[in-house]
Amino acid sequence: MFDIWRAENGHILFSGRLDASQAEKVRNILETITESCTLDFKELDYISSAGLGVLLGTQKRLSETGYNLKLINLNKHIRDIFIVAGFDFVFDIE
Amino acid sequence: MKKEFKRELTALDGIFGFVEDFTTTNRVGEDVTFSVKLAVEELFTNLLKHNTGGSDHIDIDLTREENKLVIVLKDFDVEPFDITQTKPVDIHQPLDERMIGGLGIHLVKSIVDKLTYEYKDRILCVIAIKNLEGKDV
Repeated sequence: MFDIWRAENGHILFSGRLDASQAEKVRNILETITESCTLDFKELDYISSAGLGVLLGTQKRLSETGYNLKLINLNKHIRDIFIVAGFDFVFDIE
Repeated sequence: MKKEFKRELTALDGIFGFVEDFTTTNRVGEDVTFSVKLAVEELFTNLLKHNTGGSDHIDIDLTREENKLVIVLKDFDVEPFDITQTKPVDIHQPLDERMIGGLGIHLVKSIVDKLTYEYKDRILCVIAIKNLEGKDV
Protein backbone atom coordinates (compact mmCIF):
# COMPACT_ATOMS: atom_id res chain seq x y z
CA MET A 1 0.00 0.00 0.00
CA PHE A 2 1.40 3.36 -1.03
CA ASP A 3 0.16 6.86 -0.34
CA ILE A 4 1.35 10.41 -0.95
CA TRP A 5 -0.23 13.57 0.38
CA ARG A 6 0.53 17.20 1.23
CA ALA A 7 0.62 18.00 4.95
CA GLU A 8 -0.55 21.26 6.53
CA ASN A 9 3.07 22.44 6.88
CA GLY A 10 3.50 22.17 3.09
CA HIS A 11 5.67 19.04 3.23
CA ILE A 12 4.80 16.17 0.94
CA LEU A 13 4.54 12.92 2.86
CA PHE A 14 5.13 9.45 1.47
CA SER A 15 4.07 6.17 3.06
CA GLY A 16 4.31 2.48 2.19
CA ARG A 17 5.92 0.93 -0.85
CA LEU A 18 6.80 3.12 -3.82
CA ASP A 19 7.24 0.59 -6.63
CA ALA A 20 6.92 0.99 -10.40
CA SER A 21 3.13 0.67 -10.29
CA GLN A 22 2.91 3.81 -8.12
CA ALA A 23 5.38 6.04 -9.98
CA GLU A 24 2.67 7.74 -12.07
CA LYS A 25 0.76 8.73 -8.93
CA VAL A 26 3.93 10.36 -7.55
CA ARG A 27 4.65 12.09 -10.85
CA ASN A 28 1.18 13.62 -10.88
CA ILE A 29 1.69 15.13 -7.42
CA LEU A 30 5.28 16.28 -7.91
CA GLU A 31 4.40 17.96 -11.21
CA THR A 32 2.36 20.45 -9.20
CA ILE A 33 5.44 21.64 -7.27
CA THR A 34 6.79 24.91 -8.64
CA GLU A 35 9.20 25.98 -5.88
CA SER A 36 11.43 24.43 -3.21
CA CYS A 37 9.68 21.74 -1.20
CA THR A 38 10.40 19.16 1.50
CA LEU A 39 9.57 15.51 0.91
CA ASP A 40 9.10 13.56 4.14
CA PHE A 41 9.90 9.82 3.85
CA LYS A 42 9.24 9.00 7.50
CA GLU A 43 6.59 6.41 6.62
CA LEU A 44 8.11 5.27 3.33
CA ASP A 45 9.33 1.65 3.52
CA TYR A 46 10.61 1.03 0.02
CA ILE A 47 11.55 2.75 -3.22
CA SER A 48 12.77 1.42 -6.58
CA SER A 49 14.27 3.03 -9.68
CA ALA A 50 10.85 4.11 -11.00
CA GLY A 51 10.31 6.34 -7.97
CA LEU A 52 13.92 7.53 -8.04
CA GLY A 53 13.45 8.57 -11.66
CA VAL A 54 10.43 10.72 -10.79
CA LEU A 55 12.35 12.40 -7.96
CA LEU A 56 15.32 13.06 -10.23
CA GLY A 57 13.10 14.51 -12.96
CA THR A 58 11.45 16.84 -10.48
CA GLN A 59 14.79 17.96 -9.05
CA LYS A 60 16.13 18.69 -12.54
CA ARG A 61 13.02 20.71 -13.44
CA LEU A 62 13.09 22.74 -10.20
CA SER A 63 16.83 23.40 -10.39
CA GLU A 64 16.33 25.19 -13.73
CA THR A 65 14.48 27.93 -11.85
CA GLY A 66 16.74 27.94 -8.77
CA TYR A 67 14.59 25.71 -6.54
CA ASN A 68 15.19 22.26 -5.14
CA LEU A 69 13.76 19.33 -3.20
CA LYS A 70 14.82 18.56 0.34
CA LEU A 71 14.41 14.95 1.51
CA ILE A 72 13.97 14.12 5.18
CA ASN A 73 13.50 11.06 7.40
CA LEU A 74 14.90 8.41 5.04
CA ASN A 75 15.11 4.95 6.59
CA LYS A 76 18.39 3.04 6.42
CA HIS A 77 17.47 0.95 3.36
CA ILE A 78 16.27 3.94 1.36
CA ARG A 79 19.29 6.01 2.38
CA ASP A 80 21.56 3.19 1.17
CA ILE A 81 19.74 3.06 -2.18
CA PHE A 82 20.09 6.84 -2.55
CA ILE A 83 23.84 6.49 -2.04
CA VAL A 84 24.09 3.63 -4.56
CA ALA A 85 22.17 5.79 -7.06
CA GLY A 86 24.43 8.79 -6.38
CA PHE A 87 21.45 10.81 -5.22
CA ASP A 88 23.39 12.08 -2.20
CA PHE A 89 25.23 14.29 -4.75
CA VAL A 90 22.10 15.78 -6.32
CA PHE A 91 19.64 16.07 -3.42
CA ASP A 92 19.66 17.92 -0.13
CA ILE A 93 19.18 14.98 2.26
CA GLU A 94 18.68 15.50 5.97
CA MET B 1 9.70 -21.46 -4.65
CA LYS B 2 8.50 -20.85 -8.15
CA LYS B 3 5.53 -18.95 -9.50
CA GLU B 4 4.41 -17.37 -12.74
CA PHE B 5 3.22 -13.78 -12.91
CA LYS B 6 1.34 -11.85 -15.58
CA ARG B 7 3.49 -9.54 -17.68
CA GLU B 8 2.04 -6.34 -16.24
CA LEU B 9 2.80 -3.85 -13.49
CA THR B 10 -0.28 -4.89 -11.54
CA ALA B 11 1.52 -8.18 -10.87
CA LEU B 12 3.91 -6.38 -8.53
CA ASP B 13 1.64 -6.73 -5.48
CA GLY B 14 1.65 -10.50 -5.89
CA ILE B 15 5.39 -10.52 -6.54
CA PHE B 16 6.16 -8.67 -3.31
CA GLY B 17 3.93 -11.09 -1.41
CA PHE B 18 5.73 -14.00 -3.03
CA VAL B 19 9.15 -12.60 -2.05
CA GLU B 20 8.00 -11.99 1.52
CA ASP B 21 6.71 -15.57 1.81
CA PHE B 22 10.06 -16.81 0.56
CA THR B 23 12.22 -14.66 2.86
CA THR B 24 10.03 -15.43 5.89
CA THR B 25 10.10 -19.18 5.22
CA ASN B 26 13.86 -19.07 4.78
CA ARG B 27 14.45 -16.77 7.78
CA VAL B 28 16.10 -14.09 5.72
CA GLY B 29 16.65 -10.81 7.55
CA GLU B 30 15.33 -7.35 6.72
CA ASP B 31 18.38 -6.05 4.86
CA VAL B 32 18.57 -8.98 2.46
CA THR B 33 14.78 -9.05 2.04
CA PHE B 34 14.87 -5.41 0.92
CA SER B 35 17.61 -6.25 -1.60
CA VAL B 36 15.71 -9.27 -2.95
CA LYS B 37 12.51 -7.25 -3.38
CA LEU B 38 14.38 -4.52 -5.21
CA ALA B 39 16.31 -6.93 -7.44
CA VAL B 40 13.15 -8.87 -8.37
CA GLU B 41 11.14 -5.72 -9.11
CA GLU B 42 13.90 -4.16 -11.21
CA LEU B 43 14.49 -7.35 -13.22
CA PHE B 44 10.77 -7.95 -13.72
CA THR B 45 10.02 -4.39 -14.87
CA ASN B 46 13.06 -4.46 -17.13
CA LEU B 47 11.72 -7.57 -18.85
CA LEU B 48 8.32 -5.88 -19.24
CA LYS B 49 9.98 -2.86 -20.81
CA HIS B 50 12.31 -4.58 -23.26
CA ASN B 51 10.53 -7.80 -24.21
CA THR B 52 7.11 -6.57 -25.20
CA GLY B 53 6.31 -9.34 -27.67
CA GLY B 54 6.66 -12.27 -25.33
CA SER B 55 4.19 -14.68 -23.79
CA ASP B 56 1.72 -13.43 -21.21
CA HIS B 57 3.71 -14.44 -18.14
CA ILE B 58 7.15 -14.40 -16.52
CA ASP B 59 8.38 -17.12 -14.16
CA ILE B 60 10.11 -16.15 -10.93
CA ASP B 61 12.04 -18.78 -9.04
CA LEU B 62 13.64 -18.09 -5.64
CA THR B 63 15.92 -20.65 -4.03
CA ARG B 64 18.01 -20.68 -0.92
CA GLU B 65 21.22 -22.61 -1.18
CA GLU B 66 23.63 -22.96 1.72
CA ASN B 67 25.11 -19.48 1.77
CA LYS B 68 23.31 -17.74 -1.02
CA LEU B 69 19.95 -16.85 -2.51
CA VAL B 70 19.37 -17.53 -6.19
CA ILE B 71 16.85 -15.37 -8.04
CA VAL B 72 15.82 -16.58 -11.51
CA LEU B 73 13.43 -14.82 -13.90
CA LYS B 74 12.41 -16.53 -17.14
CA ASP B 75 10.73 -14.76 -20.03
CA PHE B 76 9.27 -16.87 -22.85
CA ASP B 77 9.10 -16.46 -26.61
CA VAL B 78 11.14 -13.26 -26.66
CA GLU B 79 14.03 -11.78 -28.61
CA PRO B 80 17.46 -11.77 -26.92
CA PHE B 81 18.25 -8.75 -24.76
CA ASP B 82 21.20 -9.02 -22.42
CA ILE B 83 20.47 -6.72 -19.50
CA THR B 84 23.88 -7.39 -18.00
CA GLN B 85 25.36 -5.42 -20.93
CA THR B 86 23.40 -2.22 -20.33
CA LYS B 87 25.36 1.01 -20.37
CA PRO B 88 26.77 1.88 -16.94
CA VAL B 89 25.30 4.88 -15.12
CA ASP B 90 27.67 7.66 -14.08
CA ILE B 91 26.31 8.48 -10.63
CA HIS B 92 28.80 11.30 -10.16
CA GLN B 93 27.48 13.45 -12.99
CA PRO B 94 26.16 16.87 -12.01
CA LEU B 95 22.37 17.19 -11.81
CA ASP B 96 21.90 18.92 -15.15
CA GLU B 97 23.77 16.11 -16.94
CA ARG B 98 22.16 13.17 -15.15
CA MET B 99 19.90 11.10 -17.33
CA ILE B 100 16.51 9.98 -16.03
CA GLY B 101 16.27 6.23 -16.43
CA GLY B 102 18.77 3.41 -16.62
CA LEU B 103 19.09 3.23 -12.86
CA GLY B 104 17.30 -0.08 -12.36
CA ILE B 105 20.00 -2.44 -13.59
CA HIS B 106 22.66 -0.25 -11.96
CA LEU B 107 20.88 -0.83 -8.62
CA VAL B 108 20.60 -4.58 -9.23
CA LYS B 109 24.29 -4.87 -10.11
CA SER B 110 25.15 -2.96 -6.94
CA ILE B 111 23.03 -4.98 -4.51
CA VAL B 112 23.55 -8.54 -5.77
CA ASP B 113 26.82 -10.43 -5.95
CA LYS B 114 26.42 -11.90 -9.42
CA LEU B 115 24.14 -11.20 -12.37
CA THR B 116 24.12 -13.48 -15.42
CA TYR B 117 22.08 -13.85 -18.59
CA GLU B 118 21.19 -16.91 -20.66
CA TYR B 119 19.21 -17.21 -23.89
CA LYS B 120 18.15 -20.42 -25.57
CA ASP B 121 15.14 -21.54 -27.65
CA ARG B 122 13.60 -18.06 -27.34
CA ILE B 123 13.65 -18.30 -23.55
CA LEU B 124 15.46 -15.47 -21.82
CA CYS B 125 16.74 -16.15 -18.33
CA VAL B 126 18.34 -13.75 -15.85
CA ILE B 127 19.99 -15.10 -12.74
CA ALA B 128 20.95 -12.99 -9.75
CA ILE B 129 22.87 -14.37 -6.78
CA LYS B 130 22.91 -12.78 -3.36
CA ASN B 131 25.51 -14.13 -0.98
CA LEU B 132 24.38 -14.53 2.62
CA GLU B 133 27.63 -14.96 4.48
CA GLY B 134 27.87 -12.29 7.13
CA LYS B 135 24.37 -11.04 6.33
CA ASP B 136 21.39 -10.88 8.71
CA VAL B 137 20.17 -14.45 8.32
